[in-house]
Amino acid sequence: MLKINNLNAKIKNKSILKDFKLEINPGEVHAIMGPNGSGKSTLSNILSGKKGYDVSGEILFENKNLFKLETEERAHEGIFLAFQYPLEIPGVNTNIFLKTSLNAIKKARGEKELDALEFLNLVKKKAKELKFEEEKLNRQLNVGFSGGEKKKNEILQMSILQPKLSILDETDSGLDIDALRIVADGVNSLRKKDNSFLIITHYQRLLDYIKPDYVHVLINGKIMKSGGPELAIELEKKGYESYN
Amino acid sequence: MEEKIKNDFEKIIENSKFSNKDIELKRDFLNKFIVSGFPNKKLENWKFSDLNQIIKKNIGDLSFYTNYSIPNKLNPSIYIDGLEHNKIVFINGRIEKIDFKYEEKDKIQISDQFELKKDTKVTNSLINLNNAFANKYFKIVIKKNYSIRKPLVIYHTTNNINSKNINLRLDFVLEKNSSLKIVDIFNDQSEKNFINVFYNFELNQDSILKNYKIDQIENNNIKYSFNNIVQQENSVSETFILSSGSNFIKNEINCDLIGKYSSAFINGIFSLKQKKHHEIKTNINHLIDNTKSYQLIKSVLENESKAVYQGKIFVDSKAQKTDGYQLSKAILLNETTEFNAKPELEIYADDVKCSHGSASGSLNDDAIFYLMSRGLNYTEAKKLLINGFLLEVVEKITDSQIKNLIKNMIGLKE
Repeated sequence: MLKINNLNAKIKNKSILKDFKLEINPGEVHAIMGPNGSGKSTLSNILSGKKGYDVSGEILFENKNLFKLETEERAHEGIFLAFQYPLEIPGVNTNIFLKTSLNAIKKARGEKELDALEFLNLVKKKAKELKFEEEKLNRQLNVGFSGGEKKKNEILQMSILQPKLSILDETDSGLDIDALRIVADGVNSLRKKDNSFLIITHYQRLLDYIKPDYVHVLINGKIMKSGGPELAIELEKKGYESYN
Repeated sequence: MEEKIKNDFEKIIENSKFSNKDIELKRDFLNKFIVSGFPNKKLENWKFSDLNQIIKKNIGDLSFYTNYSIPNKLNPSIYIDGLEHNKIVFINGRIEKIDFKYEEKDKIQISDQFELKKDTKVTNSLINLNNAFANKYFKIVIKKNYSIRKPLVIYHTTNNINSKNINLRLDFVLEKNSSLKIVDIFNDQSEKNFINVFYNFELNQDSILKNYKIDQIENNNIKYSFNNIVQQENSVSETFILSSGSNFIKNEINCDLIGKYSSAFINGIFSLKQKKHHEIKTNINHLIDNTKSYQLIKSVLENESKAVYQGKIFVDSKAQKTDGYQLSKAILLNETTEFNAKPELEIYADDVKCSHGSASGSLNDDAIFYLMSRGLNYTEAKKLLINGFLLEVVEKITDSQIKNLIKNMIGLKE
């Protein structure tokens, strides 16, 4: 599904990702763990098409060259990034944003767009599953939301948009245990044989709830070690120091 | 210009039925205007918008003569659909229709024969010009305890004229505990004219005025609109300005809060493209204790457009417990746009709460990225952000029917 070959990324001449390689197959859950500044967020930004990076190498998503696709086209193809810091967008109603987003993706895929009623039924159901207060959906996007609510809102968006590849950028940070469990349940309910996940995190905590198939240790822009779920537990004990 | 304007003036006097006293006063106003001419950037009030130059550059020589004895044909297709409303229709400065069909007849008094006064407290050269040339000026009185049932829409239309100066004036008196809603719609079918609109409002105790001024339809005219509002005890004025369609328009609001607990709200949007240049100038004068004013102006500027907001809050030494607030925010979509904000606070009382702020910047790239990562293209993401930015101002509109009308007009429909 996703193949990253020799990805190099620089920002303002500072090298962040160095000959980065990763392959994710359909249905797999990969976790990338690494200390601050190791390039985790850069990776997720580049996958979603954020501008401002100087990149070389190759990223193929279902055999399509991602570098040739704009941010919104990547979303249409089925890539979703749950932001580390979801933005507050004043004046934009959450429900209207969600509907615009869903229908933009459906339209690009040549699927039938949802009308107001169909959308409302869908969003109600999803919000309930995530224990997301429905009333908040009538508010401005993320404005006045707590950190946990913003993160839940990302997962809500994910469950509505049904992406093929979901990238969770430190979704666990700022979540209390209950919220963490709800978010993890949300992710787990989306796990299917065709859907893949890339979970970016500092801590092993989230991985107690979302069992990864593979764990990678990212240090200074390079994957230093890959392994199964047991690697996360090892990391938690030994820290990142030993990989430097 | 002097000879031309004098000739045009005499021609108007010949064709009209003004009293001798009025003619004398009008001549007086004309002479005052001739001495000062159109305002230029040397005047503090006009330093960002040199009207004299703007007229020269965009129109050239103006004609001041209009034959008001010939009626213009009404075009009902300009009327707002789906909104029951009273109407005043101006065509080329001539009142073609006054229709208060939704109101009780004895609650609204309309007169066209009221005397021009020599000493208007508020004065500038454009008001002098207006007083010299305006044809009939109607005075509309809303009687005590009467609330208008449907809004009054004033259509300002022009057609088949060019390089003309059009002056029009309306006076409104809101008697005690009355209320009035006015929507001004500018709809021009002609270009390169200078249109000078002057409204006087007298708000008596407990009265409420709402004035929504909508300049949205693309046109190449130069406009000046002046609202003079005098407010008695516990009266409320709400002014909303959508400044978008004309080549140049300056909206000036002078508001004297002379009665306790009176309050004034001014909210405005500049939505400008191309080389348009618009201004909002406010003077809020807190002249007695316990009055309140609130101003919020937001701008979205594109191409080489320019917006100016000069907001002044004056607090008299008697005006303790004044609450005055103003804020302006601008999004500049290109580097070639310009936003000038000049907040002014002049405070002579010591127990007041006054604040002002101004911010301008470009669209938030991170927000654009966020929206695009959800499948919206750049244009859609930009539109959503801009609409969200402007929505806050539209949400200040207290009349829900007119709020929806304006939302529809500017594409903020939900």
